[in-house]
Amino acid sequence: MSLPDNEKEKTDPTDALSEKSSRRAFLKGLSIGAAAASAALVVGCVPGADAAASGELRLRWQEFFKKNYRLMTQEEKDQTVERLERLAALRDGIDVQIGSEPPLPKVLYGYAFNITRCEGFMECVTACIKENNLDRKTNTQYIRIFEMEPGQLDPSTGDGKYFHEVPVENKFYMGTQCFHCENAPCTKACPTKATWKEPDGIVVVDYDWCIGCRYCQAACPYFGRRFNWGKAEIPKEEITTKQHYLGNRLRPMGKMEKCTFCIQRTRKGRLPACVEACPTGSRVFGNLLDPDSEIRYVLKHKKVFRMKEELGTEPKFWYFID
Amino acid sequence: MARWLGGSVLLVALFLAGGGSGLASEKKSFLDSVKDVDKPFDSRAVRQVQPITQTTVLVKEESQGGPFRVLARKEQIERYRCSNCHGEKEVKGKDAFNLTHGNVVIHHGQEGNALACIDCHHPQDRNSLEDKKGRKIDFDHSYQLCGQCHFRQKRDWLGGAHGKRVAYWAGERVAYNCTTCHDPHAPKFAKRFPATYSVPLH
Repeated sequence: MSLPDNEKEKTDPTDALSEKSSRRAFLKGLSIGAAAASAALVVGCVPGADAAASGELRLRWQEFFKKNYRLMTQEEKDQTVERLERLAALRDGIDVQIGSEPPLPKVLYGYAFNITRCEGFMECVTACIKENNLDRKTNTQYIRIFEMEPGQLDPSTGDGKYFHEVPVENKFYMGTQCFHCENAPCTKACPTKATWKEPDGIVVVDYDWCIGCRYCQAACPYFGRRFNWGKAEIPKEEITTKQHYLGNRLRPMGKMEKCTFCIQRTRKGRLPACVEACPTGSRVFGNLLDPDSEIRYVLKHKKVFRMKEELGTEPKFWYFID
Repeated sequence: MARWLGGSVLLVALFLAGGGSGLASEKKSFLDSVKDVDKPFDSRAVRQVQPITQTTVLVKEESQGGPFRVLARKEQIERYRCSNCHGEKEVKGKDAFNLTHGNVVIHHGQEGNALACIDCHHPQDRNSLEDKKGRKIDFDHSYQLCGQCHFRQKRDWLGGAHGKRVAYWAGERVAYNCTTCHDPHAPKFAKRFPATYSVPLH
């Protein structure tokens, strides 16, 4: 038995979405037409005008009117990824591969940090800067390492600006980054729904929907988020070209960014860059839904704690001692 | 009639209250709901995982997830096989410094009571190590030797709380060997400057 036609329309969620965005679709059509017309005008009036420039303009118009990442179909994701790749080639002259891999089924990422083993070498920090294309000019870092007095467990009491030979006797080292809370306060603060928690537990930002209001930064009790005041300045040869839409792609100016557990790596089964770089093995990463994983071993057999647990944010980042 | 109605209302109210409290007790914490998952994740489920390029060997013990592999050591040792020199071969005086391993400085064990070569190396068969029970141990399986004293670290290493995996969190588990990170002659990491520094956030 089949449903009557009007019933069908109501049950199809994509129809509801298109209904809502009819104004958007109208503007989109209008803008593409305008872009084409202006491009034709430019080409027509100025002989020898750069054809590549009009192509770039068209791509930028189309990019401007795309949907929120969560509302895109896989086809639309592929299209925007292709546009972004072409824009990177046109504007910056770099060849990047941007992915839009979906979350893996039956996977929930978790992280553990061994405060007994970390010796403060900060190789995780440099690996993160390199992998995630962070701005070299402002020295943006997603990870911070604090030199701590014994007995203290709150990083705000530690020294986050040390630069001397490490490890120092009778001190310990504690790293912080985005903790990817199950109950993330930052996602609730966003007025444009540009940040959310993916099904595999990673809290991500749609950089093209972020308006840079920084409410999420104020809402995060862990100082996990970073605001970029400009497009990242990176030497061309140091740019990581294997990118993800929600991860390390080159962010536009004035966006909020943060650790994504290296989404471009972890969704392909690889370890995050900080885990791979750690020379002391203080960083443990894995699937919380796998009882045989290393992270579950740590949770079961080690003394663990989380930062500001009383807030009920349920961070998926545990500290443990040997 | 009124009594019958009143009774049924009471019954409905009781039922709702019972149902409500039942739901409240069933609500689990996030951590408990994670720990309740006891079905192992299929390690082959992530298609993009590539085989490790380094040589690996199968560990002779098992972790909670069954057998796993470890990075091989022997091909990393510059002058392996040791029996190339330690044998019937004649030794020339001019090679003495090299051949006596003068570059090896031992910082292993308590101060003033450091370990000697044959505490770990086999006194006769130089291609092997030897544990305190006199069993020959392969260089690739040095965890068996180190674990004699560092049994806590070995237990953690088998489980995954000490040491690290190679490249992938998914796929077949391949772990770093003890000697991948630690110099067996001086296992403590040397003091050095950090790789970078941090500027204040605010």
